[in-house]
Amino acid sequence: MLETRNLDKSFGAVHVTRDVSLKLERGERRVILGPNGAGKTTLFNQLVGELTPDGGSVHLAGEDVTALPVARRARRGLSRSYQKNTLFDGLSVEENLGLAAAVHTGHATRLWSDSLGKPEVREIVAEVAEQVNLMPYLHARVSEISYGVRRQLEVGVALATRPLVLLMDEPTSGVGPEMSKGFHDLLNNLPRDLTMLIIEHDMDLAFDVADTITVLNYGEVVFDGLPDEARGSKLLREIYLGSWEDA
Amino acid sequence: MFRHTALRYTALVLLASGALFQALTAEYFGLEILTEILILAMLVLALDIVAGFGGMVSLCHGALMGVGAYAYAILSTKAGLAPPVAMAGAIALTGATGWVIGAVCARSHGIYFIMATLAFGQMAYSYVFEAPIFGGDDGLGGISRLDLSLIGVDLNDSRSFALFCLALLGAVYGASVLILRSGLGRSLSGVMHNEQRMRALGLTVWRIKADVFGLSGMIAGLAGALAAQHIMYISPGLLSWTVSGEALVVVILGGLGTLVGPLVGAAAFVVLKHELSAVTTYWHLVVGVLLIAVVMSRANGIFGWIEARWGIWVERRVADATRKQDPEEVTGDA
Repeated sequence: MLETRNLDKSFGAVHVTRDVSLKLERGERRVILGPNGAGKTTLFNQLVGELTPDGGSVHLAGEDVTALPVARRARRGLSRSYQKNTLFDGLSVEENLGLAAAVHTGHATRLWSDSLGKPEVREIVAEVAEQVNLMPYLHARVSEISYGVRRQLEVGVALATRPLVLLMDEPTSGVGPEMSKGFHDLLNNLPRDLTMLIIEHDMDLAFDVADTITVLNYGEVVFDGLPDEARGSKLLREIYLGSWEDA
Repeated sequence: MFRHTALRYTALVLLASGALFQALTAEYFGLEILTEILILAMLVLALDIVAGFGGMVSLCHGALMGVGAYAYAILSTKAGLAPPVAMAGAIALTGATGWVIGAVCARSHGIYFIMATLAFGQMAYSYVFEAPIFGGDDGLGGISRLDLSLIGVDLNDSRSFALFCLALLGAVYGASVLILRSGLGRSLSGVMHNEQRMRALGLTVWRIKADVFGLSGMIAGLAGALAAQHIMYISPGLLSWTVSGEALVVVILGGLGTLVGPLVGAAAFVVLKHELSAVTTYWHLVVGVLLIAVVMSRANGIFGWIEARWGIWVERRVADATRKQDPEEVTGDA
């Protein structure tokens, strides 16, 4: 469903992505681990088109999308959530989800009708709100909801475009342990045919949600395998200084 | 995102009633002032759509109005087209010009967007000033008004022309509301709140900006065509950046991003201009002080201030009513 071939990127003398090749099958849930500065977010930015790789290619559903701009990749089914909330702050939760759903349904550019009132848009909004537990907050403005609920909305907005592949950059970043557990359930309850690539520091979530794990270090893939293999990997212990030995 | 509130409806009804009363009862001078307000109101509505709801602060809307005015004048006098056709042509041409400006400037933001639109405006001004077909500094005269004699209306009569402009302003306001409530308008609001996210969701952001700028240009073009018919003479000064600056002052003075506010701003600005200029030639100073006061007050213009005061008043009323309903609970809380 999503594949990178020999992806390479440097900023001046700093090599941030080194020959990264990944292949995600349809419905696969892969977690990307790595210490700070490993190049995880830079890799995401290249996948969605916010950064142009120096070399290599990105393929979505068999099509080379390396040259496509962000919006066209998104319309082909590649959606992302951000590490820092990137929402429409002055608008309500419902409007946030509605704007995304309107883009997916093609109502976002129409002059003769209100996109947010369209039945198919409202249907997606209701469905996504249910999926990410936002029903009680639909009419609240973003500024009125807690940080944790905003994290849910961040994922919800990405989901409302009905993506083939969902990229999530640290979805539980900044939330407490209890809410983080809620996020595990939320992600596990998403449709099984949705391909997910998740950057995560929370090891519990990584092992709970992931079908496969990829570890980046200095922009390079140093591990690619099953969660159980990752637990037993000596190399990964060294990279993380044993930080998940007790996990 | 655009929302109509009870206060906005009330303000609209009051404004429309006041304008209608003035149109029906005023003498020649009053009607001229009213027509000036109505045409300026159209221009500032066009500017509020892009600046207040799309974050695209334009310094070329004066030039767009000028394009509309010159297009109407050329098409109706030199090309010999019937005034209604010339008017439709002027609106379409200005819309196309606006679309091109919006498309080119769409990738710039903030001060760079303002400068880019200013450059477009000045290019249009210079071209009109230099090209012989536009009459240079002398401008163009002999512009006729629409002929509505078929329905028994003589637009050469000041009262009829003012009523005609009022009806068109009503239509423009309605169209503006429809634009802002459409999928396009909702997306524009999303772009203003978070352009990066809208792009990541799959929206072609430059196209949204260009389309809305084009629609805004059409409204500015209509204002220009009416301005040409009002004075029956036009000069390059109409395209000057100071006209765009004045329009921006009016939008900020009235209340950016409210649609109703710019109407209040247009009325306040024109009335102030005429009243103060009768007393002093330094009337700009007074308007400047007023603008500084509005900006420093942190209220969103005159109408924004009214909305804020109204909000506080409503909150107090609700609190009072709650206290009266359940005084013990309030006392207990205290």
